[in-house]
Amino acid sequence: MVLTHFPALVLFSFLVSVVFGLLSKDTPRERLWYGAKVFAAFIGIALAVGWLMYPLP
Amino acid sequence: MANKAIPETGAARGQPKRGALVRLCVAAWVVPGLGHLMLGRKWRALILFSAILAMFLMGLVMQGQFFSTSSESYLETLGYFGELCVGLAMPAARFFGYGGGSPLFASADYGTACLVSAGMLNVLCVLDAYDIAMGRKP
Repeated sequence: MVLTHFPALVLFSFLVSVVFGLLSKDTPRERLWYGAKVFAAFIGIALAVGWLMYPLP
Repeated sequence: MANKAIPETGAARGQPKRGALVRLCVAAWVVPGLGHLMLGRKWRALILFSAILAMFLMGLVMQGQFFSTSSESYLETLGYFGELCVGLAMPAARFFGYGGGSPLFASADYGTACLVSAGMLNVLCVLDAYDIAMGRKP
């Protein structure tokens, strides 16, 4: 299976976010919310860093 | 008289014996989520098992590399132990014929990262199971 950058990033982030959310918080609602925040942070920061590196050779 | 402002520690509640803790941690390492299952957290065990196994399988499908200790590079040796942290999945993959990936495959680098990350996530699971057994977490 060949995945390009973005699908690999999304899949990896999703799986890590699930584990982080489950282990870090105690109630289902808190876990879902924290997992969603971690997922959004993964994707957002990756996109931001990608754009920051864009002008570089 | 107990001070209710100070929460009870695991020591006050009666810690599990060392042998039981070791068995729990080994079980949690060998199969992701098994430690949580032994502690009665069935749904948590199932989700952790699914997520970590999915990460590991993603690494295999993307032809990630299995590191070895025979390399002179410290980073590769560290990578080997990182991958070994996932438990039985790594030797099982070798047993069923996974040759360690192809570095020429387009997604191989991502696959290697996924394999090591699966191991690292399992380390977090082992530590979480330990904390639950010690009474530090619900």
